[in-house]
Amino acid sequence: MSILEVSNIQKSFDSETILKGISFSMEEGESVSIIGSSGSGKTTLLRCLNFLETPDEGTISVRGEQIFDAHGPVLKPEEIRKRRLHFGMVFQQFNLFPQYTALENVMLAPKITTDSPDISQIEKNGKELLDQMGLSDRMNNYPHQLSGGQQQRVAIARALALKPDILCFDEPTSALDPELTGEVLKVIRGLAEQKTTMIIVTHEMTFARDVSDKVIFMDGGVIVEQGESHAVIDDPKEERTRQFLASYSGV
Amino acid sequence: MFLTVTLSLLEGFLGTIKLFALTLLFSLPLGLILSFGSMEKLGVIKYPIRFLIWVIRGTPLMLQLLIIYYGPGIFFGVNVWGGSANGRFAAALVAFVINYSCYFSEIFRGGIQSIPVGQYEAGQVLGMTKRQIFFKVVLLQVIKRIVPPMSNEIITLVKDTSLARVIAVYEIIWNGQAFIKSSGIIWPLFYTGAFYLIFSGLLTLLFGYIEKKLSYFR
Ligand SMILES: Nc1ncnc2c1ncn2[C@@H]1O[C@H](COP(=O)(O)OP(=O)(O)OP(=O)(O)O)[C@@H](O)[C@H]1O
Ligand SMILES: [Mg+2]
Repeated sequence: MSILEVSNIQKSFDSETILKGISFSMEEGESVSIIGSSGSGKTTLLRCLNFLETPDEGTISVRGEQIFDAHGPVLKPEEIRKRRLHFGMVFQQFNLFPQYTALENVMLAPKITTDSPDISQIEKNGKELLDQMGLSDRMNNYPHQLSGGQQQRVAIARALALKPDILCFDEPTSALDPELTGEVLKVIRGLAEQKTTMIIVTHEMTFARDVSDKVIFMDGGVIVEQGESHAVIDDPKEERTRQFLASYSGV
Repeated sequence: MFLTVTLSLLEGFLGTIKLFALTLLFSLPLGLILSFGSMEKLGVIKYPIRFLIWVIRGTPLMLQLLIIYYGPGIFFGVNVWGGSANGRFAAALVAFVINYSCYFSEIFRGGIQSIPVGQYEAGQVLGMTKRQIFFKVVLLQVIKRIVPPMSNEIITLVKDTSLARVIAVYEIIWNGQAFIKSSGIIWPLFYTGAFYLIFSGLLTLLFGYIEKKLSYFR
């Protein structure tokens, strides 16, 4: 059974339709990269999965359980909170909480959203995650004391701390200086090797090809082409995909 | 004589501080509520509150004091405040609380709206409730940002309390002025300035301390 099944997602803002019927599915342990030009709706799609936007049309199912139906009853905030935890989200701008240290950022949500939290277990888990991100010596630093790359790695640990079924990344390296993108991509590559289920919106074509199992190319609110990552990037079937990739070659 | 004056001014200053402290006590929470109201999506809540804030911030506090004290008697024929010193103090307190709630609410609103939406969204995707996001994520950041404007406004309040004199509320300037009539000396009136200076100096130190305490993050 697919871990994620997205069917006919549509979303409009005001009178402009941004997502025009997006359908795809993915298997457990797969990583999927979403590529596409600016304004094609990639961020909006991730926001729909994380219940930050409500689609006008379509359904979302996780492990066969329908967690969203545009025609279903309006969900209570509590229900939304429960369901969105199937997903984790790493933002382009990190969005760490500035008043908490790296470790506190990772621990905060598990600590305050579980009924009777086991603090020592949460702390142990947080330290392990930061360690895994290569940040064992930065746990007690505040976000402003960290580089962008380090901040983004804390954000990844923070998302992982809630053990989401599917971790979403929205251009995780776009806000970083070029020399810092490598360390973040390396961490994501490590997660892929451990078979973490991930959806990664990215402009790093080489990374998408080499690290993810599948690539989805979006344009104008539709999926133009999707398939095995090498096939889509090295040998695209659609003219629009070719044109888009051509604008990246030689960069 | 100096001792007599000092004691009398101290007594008056107690009235000043009482008005100051009670105004803060009520107008801080009320200001927070008004700020939420002024950010409501619902027009029926938002617009009346914004209108009230506009009126209060757009007219002199002195006038508001007079209207609150004399208004009920003139317009409705009821003397809600009674004639006693306590009644006049209560009227002054009501006027100050309304006035300062409006000012504080604008400071709160500015602080709350200056927090990037990414902070809320990060909290949301981590499964936090609205309450948790406000108290665990947003509030301290808001406090950090509003300390400088709040300290300005609060120090202004110390001095504004002297306006209560217009409805004969006993405070330090009232007592200082009394010596002109009773003893024919004017220096006690000028001497009141020292009390204000010392008190606002202490407040400045306090706010400086808070600002420093919160400088561990950005
Ligand atoms: N809340 C909103 N209100 C109105 N329009 C919006 C909103 N959010 C997104 N849009 C519009 O939707 C379109 C797609 O935006 P989206 O951010 O999903 O694109 P994207 O593929 O992520 O682009 P980029 O590569 O630049 O990040 C844009 O034209 C944007 O202006
Ligand atoms: Mg985007």
